[in-house]
Order: sequence, then structure tokens, then C-alpha cells
Amino acid sequence: MGGQPLPASAAVKQEVLNVKGLSAGYGAMRVIHDLDFIVYSGERIGLVGLNGHGKSTLFYAIAGLTGWQRGSIKLNGVEVGRTRSQGPGRYTHLVVRQGLALIPQGDEIFHGLTVEEHLDSGAFTPRAWRERTKRKAGILEIFPPLRKLMKVPVGRLSGGERRMVSIGRGLMSDASLFLVDEPSLGLAPKIGKGVMAALMSVDLGDSAMVIAEQNISLLEGQVDRVIGMHVGKLKGEASAGLNFQTTREA
Amino acid sequence: MDFGFIVTNAIVLACIYGGLAIGISITWSSLGLINLSYGFVFALSGYGAWLAAQYVSTNGAVVLLAGILTGALGGVLVCALAFIPIHDKPNFTVRGLIATLAINLIGTQGLMWWFGPRSKNLPEIFGTGKLHLGNIVLTADKVGNVVLSVAMLLLVLKWMRSSRRGLEIRAMMMNPHAAAIVGIGVRRTGFYVLAITGGLAGLASVLLSQTYYISPFGGLTPMIKGVAIALCGGLGSVLGAVIAAIVLGFNEALTSVLLGGQYVLITQFILIIIVLLIRPRGIAGILDKAREA
Repeated sequence: MGGQPLPASAAVKQEVLNVKGLSAGYGAMRVIHDLDFIVYSGERIGLVGLNGHGKSTLFYAIAGLTGWQRGSIKLNGVEVGRTRSQGPGRYTHLVVRQGLALIPQGDEIFHGLTVEEHLDSGAFTPRAWRERTKRKAGILEIFPPLRKLMKVPVGRLSGGERRMVSIGRGLMSDASLFLVDEPSLGLAPKIGKGVMAALMSVDLGDSAMVIAEQNISLLEGQVDRVIGMHVGKLKGEASAGLNFQTTREA
Repeated sequence: MDFGFIVTNAIVLACIYGGLAIGISITWSSLGLINLSYGFVFALSGYGAWLAAQYVSTNGAVVLLAGILTGALGGVLVCALAFIPIHDKPNFTVRGLIATLAINLIGTQGLMWWFGPRSKNLPEIFGTGKLHLGNIVLTADKVGNVVLSVAMLLLVLKWMRSSRRGLEIRAMMMNPHAAAIVGIGVRRTGFYVLAITGGLAGLASVLLSQTYYISPFGGLTPMIKGVAIALCGGLGSVLGAVIAAIVLGFNEALTSVLLGGQYVLITQFILIIIVLLIRPRGIAGILDKAREA
């Protein structure tokens, strides 16, 4: 990979995430190949690519959830990646404590907890837990339909509502990096657009957000950078104007 | 035989076994561990209570507290030996089963070596009073058993409903993968879960010792019954375990009165097989309103 072009305001922005030489996979399968990836604070990045090319695995590797991984992952300057051949998820809670919020694909929800308990469970850091009432109000601003459903078990909600709960749970935390995996997956186009608009309306402040998405048109003009992912490598990059091109390596 | 006797006995047994079953159920669904060392923890806390009665005080509260604390300590020990080292290794379910079974075997032999094979007797912590309700005689230990186990159970359930740690445990019961994603540490939660379920075993141990004696292998039958009730209630469901405990408690009291005590396990397992044939997820399958996945 060549050097990553800095975004316009990069001079004052700090690196939230710095991934160097990351490889990860499951068992004998290697999904991510020596990948470098930098995210600056305040950025909204779109990560596009086909199914099975490693977008989710990249997110999982940052969270320490892949089968094995190696390479450096610095989150807010703290090394959270380590070479590991087993024990997926063993250190995930420590990475989350460093400021990661992963909003996984396919709504990893707790089917028996109510919407409110879900949002509470996302407020893991002590500060977020103290402020959880205020934060829940903030989430309800973003997703008004959840207002009526606060006491309902999530297992009874529709797909779109679950996605809102899943995203809301991620946004409850104190995170400096939000990884959103396929927010529009499996939703009706209109609802998917609504979810995406809600994500775009989140005030990031100093934190950053990476959205993995297959439907480029949903990201068009709304993110700061778009990065393509192909067979476990990051390929090509476009800024807000979205002149997305794939560069071929020899 | 009079009906009142059967009902009171059934309720007392349901309360004691229900506590054990809920412990097994919570451990399985939150940690993925079938805790077969529960019998050892049960016996250990009986001896803890006995030591307290011998050397500290025969006061009921002291004995009870000693039993519960020893049980919690035993749970922490099991966690440190059988959960922490292997919980993220492949095929943890079977490994955990074998590890806890090993702890159970070694632990009970250790207890026998240390305390000798002779059964021990705990003081009557509830006194010897009697209560007459119509023609039903309620002895103090029966009333105490029911009140204490229901109170303890409600306390645990309330704690699981309203506290943050309880939320963590329930989250892990429903989706361990997602629990890791929201930042719940599996190991720490493991200690909480096993300490609490160990405490429940300690309570059941002291309560049951009001009727039976404490012996190194005395935990085996209660553990088998606890596992059976947890299975029948649907592993992972607290309410299912409570209902199953009531049903099986009635079955045990009825069988021992109508057929004789030696047939209890037979009728119990027939009942469980029937329930699981009709409802493979146990009683919880009927109760659950939320869709899985």
C-alpha cells in the first residue's frame, strides 16, 4: 500500500486508529493480508467491498474476535492488537474499554432483554453508565420509534427496529471509534436509508466512525473518505466526491 | 397418607432443589459450563457450616452464613480451576464437564480423607417449634426452609434484574458473543456467577442438612436432582427451573408416600423424559415469548 493521503484537516487531527501489518483469519483460512489502515479523529469513513472480502473480519480483528491475528493495532495510541492463535473474544472487553464500539453485522442482540436494558448494556464505561439516562434520551432523539418500545424484549421487534437497537447500543458508549458493519443489510431500502441518515446525523466530536457498506449509493457524498476492500486488502481510496477507483497492484 | 403432609414435603423439597437447579441453569447458560462439581461445593459448604457450628457458634445465622460463604468460596475455586484456564479453548463444553467432574471426585475424596467417612450433624438452626394449621403440622425447619430459600431466590433474582452485574450476567446468558462486543469480561463474570451459584448450593446444603446428615458424598444425589430439574425446566430459564422444581418436588413427595422412597429417581426421570419428549426445550419452551436469534 502507498502512503495514505491525509484528509484536509489532518494537521490538527489525531490518529484514533492505526493498524499496521494486520493479518487475521479463522483456522487455516487467512482473510486479511498485511493490511495498513489509519483513522483520524472526527472522520466518517466508508469501507466498501464485496461479500467475503474481509470487511467484517477487519472489524472483528480490531475487536480481537477473529480466530487468530497478528500485527499492530493502536487504538488512541494504545496497542490493542497482539499475535494470538486462539481465544477469540478473550481480550475484547479490554479493547472496548480502550474506546471501541463495534456495531456488528446481523444484530448481535440479547433476545430476552428489553430495549432499555440493551441500551444500558452498551454504556459499559463508568462515565457512560453514570450518564446513561441522558444518553438514552439522546438515542431516542436519533431513533424516535424506539420510544414506545423501551420495555419490550428485543426478541419481539422487527428487523429494522433491532438494527436501531443494535446501533443505539453502540452509540451509548464512550467510544472514540465506532465500527458499523453493514447498517443497511437486510432492511427495506427506505428503512436502510433512514438508518444511514441517523448514523450520519450522529455528532462525532473527537471520535471517528467507519461504516462498512456494500451499497455505495447510500454513502455517496456523506462520508469524508471511501476506502475499497478487495480480497483482504485495502485498495483505492476516494475523498468525499466519491470518484471511486480501484488501483491494481502488479 | 394425608394430603397436607405430601404438600408440605413437596414444597420444602421444591425450594431446596430449586435453588440448586437455578444455580446449575445460570452457570450453564451464562458460562456454557455444566458444573458437575456442584456436589462437591454442596458437601464442602456443609462441612464449612459444621466447622462453624463446632468452633464458632451454634447460632443458626452463623451456621447458615458460614455455609453460604463456604459455598461461594468453593464456587470461586471451581472457577479458578475449571473455567479460567480452559474457557476459551476449543470444545470447552466437554472439557469443562470433565474438569468439573474431576474436581468433584478429587474434592469429595479429599473431604473424606480430611473429615472421615462418618456423617456429621448440624444443629437445628430453626429451633424445634411447631405450627399447627388445621390438621397439618408445620415444623420450624420446614417453615424456615421455605421462607429462607424463597427469600434468597427472590434476592438473587432481584439482583439479576436491577444491578449492573446482573445485567452483565443476563446478557451473557443470552448471547456470549454480543456480550464480549459490548465489553463484558467473561472471566470476571465467571467469578460472579460461580460465587453466587456456589452460595446457593451452600444455602441448599445447610437447609437439607436439617433433614439429612452431612457426608462427603452427600452432594451427589442433590446435584443429580438439581441437574435433572434444570434440564426439565429448560437449561437457562430461571422461571422454568422453579416450575420444574415444584413439579418434581410433588413427584418426589407423592412417590415416596405412595410407592416408597426407592422409586423416587425412577419416577423422576420418567417424568423428565416425558417432558423433554413433548417439549425438547423443557418447560422454558412454553414460557419463552421472545424469538431466538
